[in-house]
Amino acid sequence: MTTQIFIKIGYACISIAVMVAYGLLTGGVMARIRARVYGRYGAPVWQPFLDIFKNLNKRTAISHGMMFYLGPIFRFAGGLGTYLFIPAVFGSVLFANFSGAGDIFLVMYFIFFGQLGMALGAGEGGHPYSGIAIARGLAQMSAFEVPFALAVISIVVQYDTFSITEIVAAQQGGILHWTMFTNPLATIAAFIALLGMNMQSPFDIVIAPQEIPIGPPTEFPSQFLSMLQTNRGLFLVAKLILFMNLFYGGATSVWILFLKTFIIYLANLFIGVSFPRYRIEQAIKFFLKYPTIIGIIAIILMAMK
Amino acid sequence: MVNPLYMFILFLAFGFLFAILDKMGRKVTLTLFYGVLLANFIIPLYWIWGIFSGTTSGTEISTAGFMAPISINLRFGFEEIIIVLLVNFLGLLSAIYLSDKFKKSSINGMILFMVLLMSIDGLVMTRDIFNIFVFLEILSIATYSLIAIEKNRDSLSAGFKYMLAGGIASAFILIGIIFLYRFTGTLNLDDMIGKSHLLVGKAGFLSLYLFLFAILLELKPFPANGWALDVYQAVNEGLVAIIAVASSAAIFFVLYKFLPLVPSEYYGYLGGVGLVTFFFSNLIGLKQKNPNRLLGYSSIAQMGLLLATLSILKSFGSNDLIIFQIVGGLFINHFLAKAALFWLVGIVKKNDISAWTNLRTNPSLLIFLGVFILALSGLPPFPGFWAKWDFVMILASKGSYFSIIGILLASLFEITYLFRWLGFAMKKTDSTEKIDLPISKEFPIAISAIALLVFSVVTTYFFKEFSFIQILPLVGLVLMYLFGYLPVKVKGFVAIVIISTYAIKLYSLVSGLELFFAAILVVGSLVQIIATMYRSGKREGFYPFLVMMIIAIGNLVIAKTYLSFFFQWELMTIASYFLIMKGKEVTSAGLKYIIFSMGAAYFIMTGFAFAPVIPAINLSLINTIGMKHIGILSLSLLSIGFLIKIGSLGFHVWVPDTYNKADDDTTSYLSSIVSKAGIFGFFLLAVAIVKNASLDTELLLTIIGWIGVMTAIIASIMAAFQENVKKLIAYSSIGQLGYIILALSAFNHIGWLAALNLTLNHMLFKLMIFLAIAGVIMRTKTTNMYEMGGLIKKMPWSYISVLMGIIGLSGVPPLAGFGTKWMLYNALIERGWYLQAGAALFASGIAFLYLFRLIYTVFLGQAKPEHKDIKAAPLWLLIPQYIAIAVVMLISMKPILLLKPLSEMISVYIPTNLGWVGDKLITVNGYWNGSQVMNVTMIIFGIPFLWMLFITRKVQKVKQFNIVFAAERPDRPETTHFAHNMYAHYNKAMGFLVTPKLAIKFWDRVSEWISSSGATLRNFYSGNGQTYLLQIILYFIILYSIMGGK
Amino acid sequence: MILTTVLGFILIILGIWGMLTQKNLFKMVIGFSILDSGIHLVIVSLGYIKDKTAPIIDSDILANNASSQVVDPIPSALVLTAIVIGLAVTALMLTYIIQLVNTHNFDSKNMKDPLSITSYEELKW
Repeated sequence: MTTQIFIKIGYACISIAVMVAYGLLTGGVMARIRARVYGRYGAPVWQPFLDIFKNLNKRTAISHGMMFYLGPIFRFAGGLGTYLFIPAVFGSVLFANFSGAGDIFLVMYFIFFGQLGMALGAGEGGHPYSGIAIARGLAQMSAFEVPFALAVISIVVQYDTFSITEIVAAQQGGILHWTMFTNPLATIAAFIALLGMNMQSPFDIVIAPQEIPIGPPTEFPSQFLSMLQTNRGLFLVAKLILFMNLFYGGATSVWILFLKTFIIYLANLFIGVSFPRYRIEQAIKFFLKYPTIIGIIAIILMAMK
Repeated sequence: MVNPLYMFILFLAFGFLFAILDKMGRKVTLTLFYGVLLANFIIPLYWIWGIFSGTTSGTEISTAGFMAPISINLRFGFEEIIIVLLVNFLGLLSAIYLSDKFKKSSINGMILFMVLLMSIDGLVMTRDIFNIFVFLEILSIATYSLIAIEKNRDSLSAGFKYMLAGGIASAFILIGIIFLYRFTGTLNLDDMIGKSHLLVGKAGFLSLYLFLFAILLELKPFPANGWALDVYQAVNEGLVAIIAVASSAAIFFVLYKFLPLVPSEYYGYLGGVGLVTFFFSNLIGLKQKNPNRLLGYSSIAQMGLLLATLSILKSFGSNDLIIFQIVGGLFINHFLAKAALFWLVGIVKKNDISAWTNLRTNPSLLIFLGVFILALSGLPPFPGFWAKWDFVMILASKGSYFSIIGILLASLFEITYLFRWLGFAMKKTDSTEKIDLPISKEFPIAISAIALLVFSVVTTYFFKEFSFIQILPLVGLVLMYLFGYLPVKVKGFVAIVIISTYAIKLYSLVSGLELFFAAILVVGSLVQIIATMYRSGKREGFYPFLVMMIIAIGNLVIAKTYLSFFFQWELMTIASYFLIMKGKEVTSAGLKYIIFSMGAAYFIMTGFAFAPVIPAINLSLINTIGMKHIGILSLSLLSIGFLIKIGSLGFHVWVPDTYNKADDDTTSYLSSIVSKAGIFGFFLLAVAIVKNASLDTELLLTIIGWIGVMTAIIASIMAAFQENVKKLIAYSSIGQLGYIILALSAFNHIGWLAALNLTLNHMLFKLMIFLAIAGVIMRTKTTNMYEMGGLIKKMPWSYISVLMGIIGLSGVPPLAGFGTKWMLYNALIERGWYLQAGAALFASGIAFLYLFRLIYTVFLGQAKPEHKDIKAAPLWLLIPQYIAIAVVMLISMKPILLLKPLSEMISVYIPTNLGWVGDKLITVNGYWNGSQVMNVTMIIFGIPFLWMLFITRKVQKVKQFNIVFAAERPDRPETTHFAHNMYAHYNKAMGFLVTPKLAIKFWDRVSEWISSSGATLRNFYSGNGQTYLLQIILYFIILYSIMGGK
Repeated sequence: MILTTVLGFILIILGIWGMLTQKNLFKMVIGFSILDSGIHLVIVSLGYIKDKTAPIIDSDILANNASSQVVDPIPSALVLTAIVIGLAVTALMLTYIIQLVNTHNFDSKNMKDPLSITSYEELKW
């Protein structure tokens, strides 16, 4: 029993390490692509690794208090947990993670764990922009969760299970078994939600790279920032894997995983670089209009089957 | 036995003698006066004793040496004795109340007073219809003369209008009598009843109608009663008590005597007259501000109700015992409470009920006012409560829907104006204006209150056979009052002892679902008592009602009959109302609370009324309610009642105000405990439904489910827009309760499991949050969140408590909140309620908005300079929070400990379809291993935490303003703390859902419409005596054409 | 005797009419008196039996066959009581009027007629 647990933990560590590396690299690549689209040269693709390394070795760190200190830890734990409760590679023991602990709803709610902790940590910093950004983020989240939730419910109805593993299993046997083709409306609704979730344009006012140049990332210096940056890679991958599992047939090997998630993200980025930005209330209205209606239709279609 | 004629002799003889005896000095006459009154009170008392001891059964008295029907005869049977006893009792009390008047004014006052009482006694006892006329005229003349003793313009003009109306009435009665005599050849009532077959045709009916109408007129039917209202308003309160209560009682009794003569097909019309009067008097009373006139409306309404109950019961052919119980109950209630209220008004001497705040300076009067208003409102344990219940049950069994609606709606109006009055009296002010209170004036009031309470105990114990534990809430109330002089901490301790004892007793009585609810409600309350000790001073009146409320809620769980459930429910309502009223500026919120609560109570009452009676076996309602098939009507009514109580969408308007204005620890009770009583009610319904598989409840459940989920969504949005921290949590409560009924209405095993879990969790989380916020409010002395901020440094323990609370409420793993949300979605998907599941997810997304706002604006962000010296929350408040946190942690780490037993409780009703593999719970669609989630979370949190500790050894703590803010160094937290109008953007997007405030507008319109229709109707009462006369004549004609038109 | 009854009712209606239409307090009381008288007439007329004499037992009418010779005595007895009571009420009404006029404020500029029923409308609603 104990050995099993240690093996499991060992697997989890490997799985995490691989995914962090992949996530950071993907982030670097995407940043590069984005730069090229905008006509810049762009940073090297390993820039995220350099950033983390640099930040880890800074000599001073400041803290605003207990919750501030815990914020990045919550955030990272949230990323870790989200990833660990998803079976990453179908049929792989190494990448099965702790998916036996809970189903799709656990993952959906665990996403909030890190966000909430981070929000509280940033909140203690006392920076008004933290509060503003979080308020916007939460408002947008409450909106994009709707089409996403509807899409999830639709496929839950479709496959009659909450288990991600079983949902992936049901999509095996050819590309036409993917949810993307068997339930295209849910996929569309979820894909739009993913834009919001990844804070891609036109839904990027939450991080508002231009207007709020500082705020959480600058308030959290050195080692705190390194932890946040590490999480950024992992959390991104976790979300992409979740989508891959739910809508794009999952992955039977880690290479397919890399390929599929990369394409999903690329598609995401493709839209992200093409659109101007919504104001937050426009974003909310948008999410609660078309994607939500699409999601509802998706549910009704599945329920009628 | 003393011959009752001596009563007349005493009154008359001394009446004549007083003119002479007064020459010997007022002391002599006064002594004799009270002696006579006392003697005449003792005589019927003696007879009562005789009847109860079986030595007599009353008597018939003939006069002038002949037997009836030749002579006038008087009857002194059981009913007469009771009424005479009450009348003379009231006469004695009223005379005591008026003693200073009698000392000063002329001897005529005393003489007239005795004549008045004599005529009332005569009216009750006589069996001769002409004699009735004579006594009625003596009564009128004595009353007119007494009114005229006070030579002020108002009472004289009122008296003159009274005389005009009385003159018409006596004309009618006289014509009626002569025609009755003409057709039957007798004046003796019993003889006439024997010959009632002679009263046929239009002429026979007309003669009956004339007599009846005159009696009705004296009972002041709407709208021919403007003169009476003027009398009630203008005449001295000591005298009005007799007019409104004793005289009316005697006249009502005359009607009672006369009814056998009236063909039973007319009873319905009389009931209609009564109902119309009851309804419209209360409706018009809504606008009334003058306490005398208010009582006038209430008196008229009550007489209308008495008339209605008597005639309707007679028309149903109910047996005498039932009539005696119902009419008698209402009668006693009105008799004692109304008279005493008139006296009270005479003491306080304020012409506007909103000026009654000086009553606070005299707690005993305030208590009396409370007692009488509760009694008049038909609340337990007063006789009116039992009577109203029985009456509604009978009406329901006969299918009299309109009567039920009319009576309950009018009762609600009455409650509104009575409690508005009470609310003003309980208002906290700095007024130290003392009330001049001679003992002679307080004594009669106190005696009435005591008599009322004695009657209550008698009814409760003997007629309804309630056991000790059922009246324990009241015992608790009294017991705690005895400790009133002690400081808060001691009283809190005593309360804990009482409730613990009760909890142990309760534990031996419950099992299964009852045990679960008893634990939540009673143990949850017990823990919170510790929190109430954070206050200093005495908190007078707080603990008595707290103890009463807790025991009543506990008793709800073990109630065995509908009546007993309803009884406890009402006790809970009363107690919580008085707890709320301890708050500051709570007048309008408290009124809203009681109106909605009573509205809910009436729905519940009618729901029970239309339900089949459950078999009387010695089991609590939740075990027996499913034994008979409860119809859809009854279920719907009960649902509406419980929906109002938990403040569902549309009915939620009372919640935010009440929660906001009540004391902070009271609010915690309201949210965590009292609202759960409504949830328990829903479980009762659910059990009733599940046991009757044949009933099609699909529609009902779907509606309730949608109400639940819409409540969750709208309340969450509303919560996000609040600036006031207590209102925010109040809306959050509304929303969370929406989830519970959503889960319950899914009606599968996992749904019920979710509902039970949500109930427990909500209790724990709201307890933590409300008590933590109570500490914050206590320290910061504000409820506006934007005036707080940065409190994490000063109140870290409260912060942790709120943090746990919001994690739990939002459903973020690994705390138990996630389990409940997960079960909810399982239940909804299993049920096929996919859209509801989507909506629930939407609501829980919005919940993040307000939860973050709650914790961020209060505890995080920028601290205010004025808060730099505040201390942590008092230990008293923290203890219950941390007990709750401990429970939350336990059920989060080992959910199986809770879920397995709960699942077993539910499987009695709905068989389980859950599977357990170790700690893993497997449902039809999904699986969840709470313990493993907890373990994984602790590891993935712990490792980075240790890593962080390892690498950041040189963390520098910085000051508050050490932030980089657009090249500026902010120094004012007011401009830096992001809190006010935090979700402006969200408001722009979603505000359209909540800004119309449809529910508030709707209820405002309803109340506006009702009160303006009352205002319009009261224009009937123009003040012109001639108009009143015209109204009487028209009423006479219209009523005749309705009744005799066939 | 039917004529008397009809007359009585006419008086009753007249009386009520008077009470309803006359604003003057005294006239209203007079209306009441007429009403009362009408009632008394009705009572007496209903007790009357044609060709019978007064119900007084003396040398002309013997107690043992009185019932066949006299009118119904009860209405007569009733009417006596009613008259007394009517008198008392009327007297009381007149007293009230005096007292009411006494409370009237005669100094007031726009003084209302102290004898009009419309001057006593302060209490309403």
